[in-house]
Amino acid sequence: MADTDQLRVRLVSPDRILVDQTATAVEVPSSSGYIEVLFGHAPLLAAIGAGEVRLHGGESDGQRYFVARGFVEVLPERVTILAEVAEKPEEIDSGEAQKELQHGQELWNDAGEEAEKYDQANQVIAEAESKLASSGRSAAGSHS
Amino acid sequence: MANVLDLRRRIRSVKNTRQITRAMKMVSAAKLRRAQERAITSRPYAAMLASVLESLKRRIEIVDPDTGEVRHPLLKTREEKRILLVVVSGDKGFAGGFNTNIIKATTHFLGSNDGKEIDVEAIGRKGRDLFRRRYPAARFQEIESHDGHAPRPERQRSSQIEVIGDHPGLLEKLSFDAARELGEEIVDRYVHEEIDAVYIVYNEFKSVIQQRVVVERILPIIEFGRHEITESQEMSAEERARAAEAALTAGVSLQPGEAEADIQEFEDEAKKFGTAEVDYIYEQKPREIFDAILPRYVTSQIYHALLESVAAEHAARMTAMDSATNNAGEIIDSLTLTMNRVRQAAITREIIEIVSGAAAL
Repeated sequence: MADTDQLRVRLVSPDRILVDQTATAVEVPSSSGYIEVLFGHAPLLAAIGAGEVRLHGGESDGQRYFVARGFVEVLPERVTILAEVAEKPEEIDSGEAQKELQHGQELWNDAGEEAEKYDQANQVIAEAESKLASSGRSAAGSHS
Repeated sequence: MANVLDLRRRIRSVKNTRQITRAMKMVSAAKLRRAQERAITSRPYAAMLASVLESLKRRIEIVDPDTGEVRHPLLKTREEKRILLVVVSGDKGFAGGFNTNIIKATTHFLGSNDGKEIDVEAIGRKGRDLFRRRYPAARFQEIESHDGHAPRPERQRSSQIEVIGDHPGLLEKLSFDAARELGEEIVDRYVHEEIDAVYIVYNEFKSVIQQRVVVERILPIIEFGRHEITESQEMSAEERARAAEAALTAGVSLQPGEAEADIQEFEDEAKKFGTAEVDYIYEQKPREIFDAILPRYVTSQIYHALLESVAAEHAARMTAMDSATNNAGEIIDSLTLTMNRVRQAAITREIIEIVSGAAAL
């Protein structure tokens, strides 16, 4: 197989470089919905929301990562994802995520009439929920 | 003259001390290796943030063409009347001049900014304890809410310099989340115009033999990807030689390792991140992306400073403990010499007594 149609994917968090591999397709949770990137995609820059980065094909086939708060740069042959939070689903502490969710709900209840606080609370909730979803899927996958 | 028994006791005690300092040195060396790795692996992220901001800056109008004002609050410069100074020291002592140098640099900064209102935010127990004794803590007055909007608490300033915030254990288990909380708080205060500038004092760590105490401006941001260092204190040649010697005996390499070379390559590439000469499709408006990234840039700068400071602290402790171990060795040598001399003298005296006693018979 010609490796000319392989994307070079990088996932970088403040602490380390999690992924530096090739893939044929990458799913990225942009803040306005998932986008799938194939080789030759037009250059794109987007903020990412809480969700999962999924890699398909190449060296990194089948890998998934939970990410939040970051952005992605797409070039025709390269995808670079920068995220403040980036974890493997099996590394997620679901108890901790549950606590975060509760904390978010408390924030939401206490927000009063301030739009800013609501946004903040919603963000915490969204992050915790997708974190839980991500870890849940991994647990279900390992049992089957 | 001291007797042999006393000297023997002292030698034993110094030997025990030497064992402790040697153990501390090896522990610091191990911790240093880990801290060094963390500091290095965090570089690409920071470099990428800086380069993407730089590239976005060219695509949006930062300065409002009508009023000539900067649009983003974090880029706005104001006259420096109220300054926030973040002081990063260590949690523990036994690290040679590490904490002293930080405190000296801070004191110097406070002295040269006389007449301004300065808040000292101390991270690390050593600095916190000292500045708390020296300056009063900041007090805030909660204001009753009138219209559903909770107003920001009102500051009750009683002194030119006050200590603000408390972060116990932040350095011990340094995580990005902790740095983020700190960063968000600082950004929040800056945006609400409670402070006009933010500086950070910390030990910059380039390698075991290249460290310096720096005062760096974090806010307002003038240029991306550059450390706005306003003051710095380099290591002396003597300190450097001692550090190199300590590193050698502790098995810490001075040369950049393979992992570091990889990162270096990555970092070079990171600088190109987001700067390709193509027209990007922006999922969101460039301005929105820019606004979202800017506060993160501040956080990443703070995180970077904290990581470097932790690595520098371990390096300083390793060097200090190496000197202590060497000094203990010297003391042991000189005490052993004295002890042998004393013992010899006693024997000689006894022989003379016996001989002269025999001659008198």
